[in-house]
Amino acid sequence: MLILGIESATGQVGCALGGRGGLLASAHTVRPRRHAESLTPQIRFIVDQAGVALSDVDAVAVDVGPGLFTGLRVGITTAMSLAWALGVPVVTATSLELLAFAATTDGREVMAVVDARRGEVFHARYRRTPDGMTQMSSPAVASPAAVASSLATSAANRGDNVLVVGDGARTHIDVFRGIDGVDVAPTGFDRPSAAALVSLATPVVERGEFVDPTDVAPLYLREPDAKAKWDPAAGTPS
Amino acid sequence: MIGEAHDVAVEPPSIILGIETSCDETAAAIVRDGREVLSSVVASQIDIHARYGGVVPEVASRAHVEAIIPVVAEALAEAGIDHVDLDAVGVTHGPGLIGALLVGVSAAKALSLAWEVSLIGVNHLEAHLYAAFLEEPDLEMPLVILLVSGGHTMLVVMEDHLRYRVLGSTLDDAAGEAFDKVARHVGLGYPGGPIIDRLSTNGDPEAIRFPRAMMSDGWDFSFSGVKTSVVNHMRRHPDTDVGDLVASFQEAVADVLVTKARRAAREEGARGICLAGGVAANSRLRERVREVCELDGLRAFLPDREMCTDNAAMVAAVAWHRLCADGPSALDLGAFPSLRLPTI
Ligand SMILES: [Zn+2]
Repeated sequence: MLILGIESATGQVGCALGGRGGLLASAHTVRPRRHAESLTPQIRFIVDQAGVALSDVDAVAVDVGPGLFTGLRVGITTAMSLAWALGVPVVTATSLELLAFAATTDGREVMAVVDARRGEVFHARYRRTPDGMTQMSSPAVASPAAVASSLATSAANRGDNVLVVGDGARTHIDVFRGIDGVDVAPTGFDRPSAAALVSLATPVVERGEFVDPTDVAPLYLREPDAKAKWDPAAGTPS
Repeated sequence: MIGEAHDVAVEPPSIILGIETSCDETAAAIVRDGREVLSSVVASQIDIHARYGGVVPEVASRAHVEAIIPVVAEALAEAGIDHVDLDAVGVTHGPGLIGALLVGVSAAKALSLAWEVSLIGVNHLEAHLYAAFLEEPDLEMPLVILLVSGGHTMLVVMEDHLRYRVLGSTLDDAAGEAFDKVARHVGLGYPGGPIIDRLSTNGDPEAIRFPRAMMSDGWDFSFSGVKTSVVNHMRRHPDTDVGDLVASFQEAVADVLVTKARRAAREEGARGICLAGGVAANSRLRERVREVCELDGLRAFLPDREMCTDNAAMVAAVAWHRLCADGPSALDLGAFPSLRLPTI
């Protein structure tokens, strides 16, 4: 069983090939606004490096966000188009779930935080289980201060420290550092990765929890900015 | 070598899937040899954007993601072909809204990789210029083309296949943008073009003499003045008949466009005048082009309305010409919101 993972929710874009036997190949680049240029050549590269053919892929796994909209759509459109063209199913994971999954191997609670720009973060809490991740709070968008204060409140009632991970925690490190009962994960875990996506997706593919390629939808968590090219409310044409 | 640089008759036959997502239409089409349209599917977002009074980029991008695979699937089904029959995928990679373009480009690259077929990045402006050739592959050149849409207003001379010179373009609003803004101001709704076109049939185009900016002055256009004049006229004469108002506005815009195209055709020794872009669907503009061409002994070429507005058949047509002339694009193809028409 061969899974192609595609991940582009943050400033990084990456892909990986693997399955139950582990990872065969992976690649990622961190070039803001270059997701679309990089992704397909990367996929061709890892397929070649792994010595397989794209037609050997049994399922495509994709990070559906939350994250930065434009880059996220590049990854999701690429994943759904590849899966549809190859006639294989899709499995999905959230960026927050991926961050939490990669950052811990024990059962401690993890707060994943993705930078949402405009002074906000996407966040959700998880615990690792033998077969993946259990979600303790649903993905949502909030100010870093609000997330930090909820962490501080709940930390008092817990035995072990909660781990905070993600580029949202890095960007707002002053808000998250120094809270009692909270550890911030080291820098290497700041971004969701395609490699983690393939590991997380493996049992999901084995259980056959598939999504039809045409039903894959980005997790935006924010309404679109309803600003047209000119302002109809102003009354006179601009 | 002009005239023989690109002899379409000897090129290899091929079937190309075109994809277009540069603005508010998700479109896919199958075209054989750059001229025979086997299918052309357009999913319009007009209803979604109408409530905002214009195209909202983020709303457009989201709608493209939802529509892209179903639209491509329908184009293949309507053409009655399987992906194994395809030779290439052509996709609009600029100009346009960056988030919207990236959906089409990402899909096209993935399909090209999965199906092992060539990828061709297509310029959206060039695609509009080729819409006429889908109906009439043997149009005689040189040709003066008036490309008028919500985003563009250009006066182009096409000397031969893939060989263009831009004589002039708008200095402010695009022609279609002026229609949208006037319609919005008069409270007619969105999109303005078709509404004004319809209401004008009950109005007197000579009722109000709106200014014709730069009419005999160079090749560029300016539509911001006429729009302001309409707004001011409404303010001073609130009882003006709406039909007269919009008919007079439409007449002023058509007058400037056609006068310049006619002069360009004369000076360039063109064989005809061709309309392209969404505003090319305007009845009065079509009528005026037909009139002046008859007077001057020129060929008036007015493509079907479906071919004037954004579609993917014109993208597939250019993809074929570009594939024959330049070969395929590399897989690191990107999207370019301000891509310019390639000129000689
Ligand atoms: Zn267009």
